[in-house]
Amino acid sequence: MERTEAQNSTPQGRYTLLPSRYSSEDIIFCIDVDTESLVEMKVTGPNGRPITRLDSIKQAILLFINAKLSINPDHRFAFATLAKSASWLRKEFSSEVESAMDALRLLSVDSSSGHADLTQLFKLATHEAKKSRAQNRILRVFVIYCRSSIPPQHQWPVNQKIFTLDVVYLHDKPGPDNCPQKVYDALVDALEHVTEYEGYIFESGQGLSRVLFRHMCILLSHPQQRCLQDLVDLPKSLTKKSPTADSAPGEENPAVSSQ
Amino acid sequence: MAIDTVPPLIAAQLNYLLSHSPLPIKVEQMWSGSKNHGLLDRFTLVIPFCLDYIRWDVIYNALYPLAAPDIIFGPEDESFRPYYAAGEEGDLKSPKNSMSDWNCKDPTRLLSLILELRELYMTYQRKRVGEVEDERLKFELSTIVSREGIEMYMSSGIEKTEEVKFALPLLGVDINKMVTGCPWRQKQKIFLQVIFPVGRKYMSTPSAPRLKLVASPELKALFSIEDFRLPSWLDGMCMAEYLPILEGLLQSQIVDAVSSIDVRRKFIVALAPLFGRPVEADPVFCRKAAFLTSSGVFTFLVHFSLPLQFPKQQPGLMLQSSQHFNPSGAPVKSPVITEFPWSPRWESSEMAERFFDYLVEECLNFKKYCNESLLQQR
Repeated sequence: MERTEAQNSTPQGRYTLLPSRYSSEDIIFCIDVDTESLVEMKVTGPNGRPITRLDSIKQAILLFINAKLSINPDHRFAFATLAKSASWLRKEFSSEVESAMDALRLLSVDSSSGHADLTQLFKLATHEAKKSRAQNRILRVFVIYCRSSIPPQHQWPVNQKIFTLDVVYLHDKPGPDNCPQKVYDALVDALEHVTEYEGYIFESGQGLSRVLFRHMCILLSHPQQRCLQDLVDLPKSLTKKSPTADSAPGEENPAVSSQ
Repeated sequence: MAIDTVPPLIAAQLNYLLSHSPLPIKVEQMWSGSKNHGLLDRFTLVIPFCLDYIRWDVIYNALYPLAAPDIIFGPEDESFRPYYAAGEEGDLKSPKNSMSDWNCKDPTRLLSLILELRELYMTYQRKRVGEVEDERLKFELSTIVSREGIEMYMSSGIEKTEEVKFALPLLGVDINKMVTGCPWRQKQKIFLQVIFPVGRKYMSTPSAPRLKLVASPELKALFSIEDFRLPSWLDGMCMAEYLPILEGLLQSQIVDAVSSIDVRRKFIVALAPLFGRPVEADPVFCRKAAFLTSSGVFTFLVHFSLPLQFPKQQPGLMLQSSQHFNPSGAPVKSPVITEFPWSPRWESSEMAERFFDYLVEECLNFKKYCNESLLQQR
């Protein structure tokens, strides 16, 4: 599969930082607003209040935006929702956190959507990507999907790849009445079909916000500087390299598997 | 600018000017020439000149859209009369110019008019400076007049002493070409602004002029004009002597600045085996890199920012949690950390190892700090 390779690795995968294209990003978050976004996460909030997937997603997006802007204040963000198809929530790109918070407040779920089609999203993204490129920026689409039985569909010409696609997939545990694996495969398929630079996809059925937040941080990776997803070794663990008599205090088990 | 109350032909010309001007011209204010129609047909343009700004009022008339605008110059420039016989056909003293040949439907016209007037204004200022009765100034002028791209300005007024200001472009070298992967779309320029007081009396030792370096803003990713120490202007010096000294010094410091990019690059690369692949790093100027690390289930970002004087000056370090949020939903950040073991003499691999060892301990303090800030919110 032809894909624009990031420049920052030797053939052995060792990290290098050669002078290369470094474009500021325009990132479109596309958030699933089907009723499955209201499924509760495993941990409750303060005072035992339940937290839905949508609550965690909103927090995760704010985490992402704040972190991204700490790295480079020139990145910008816009918002769309996905029901049966995609539609704009806030189409003007902005690098203001306040503006993102205002957009996220508008986010709400209305009803069960039935099927999901990503084609319109890709069309929107292609239109925006052309504008971004004219300003020496690159476009990224960030899909956050929550349906456990509905693989999304798309129709896209083979060689049109002018934006990067990342996916986060939150789902129920696999059972006889759902097919999250099938959904995951469809998302991978879409990603490989449309993405310009290496796209990343993460899934979780555990219902833990902390895992979602960790995935979001890995997704901070700038598309022009990524390695293949199989080679991602983040986050790196800060433990003493040589074991000593008194091991690092209060060490919990190392973080759960990279998925 | 409320586009929908600006008459369309005027808006087209103004928008063309703002998007195509080779100089950063801005609109300071817009107003209407008449209470009756309320259309915005007048505005002030702020135009860069001699490393400062001049303000010209552009006066259209919404009721006469075919007519060329009037331009009103600053109060000091009463004697600036370009096109003084504008509009008079067959007058040998006024060749065809942008005013007499006006086409209101052509969106490029306002820009060409303003640029043409600016050129004439430069000539007018040059003439004024040349007429100043100051032997020293006459001499200085003669030594630099052949330099390309000079602008000069004579400021006078009842309350101000007379001064002559020169803007001298420095360094013929193309800095953009010196930086591999340079993202700058425009050529970076450095200017020396020199301000001489006009003294009609003869002085045995003329006072030194006021000197200031001005650079295009993007240059600061590579080189700090503010931190550059201007060489002293010795008694009795003239620009012809001073400029080569300044340019020599500037050139060597810029060469140093370019080679220090790779020193920073080496440090960032040395961090990768210990901290993982950075989620994002600046590959051209190597000023910043961010890493994602964890200590147990606590996941957080480590932000490095490398100053231009690295390694003489230590990096800035900041930590950002992925799991702790303040009341407005922003992830908790540490203050910028400065107390860590540091020596500019270490090899980059040793610097990286020292940071690693330091952060193994420090991240526990940071975790405590984050937990405490959550408790304070309850």
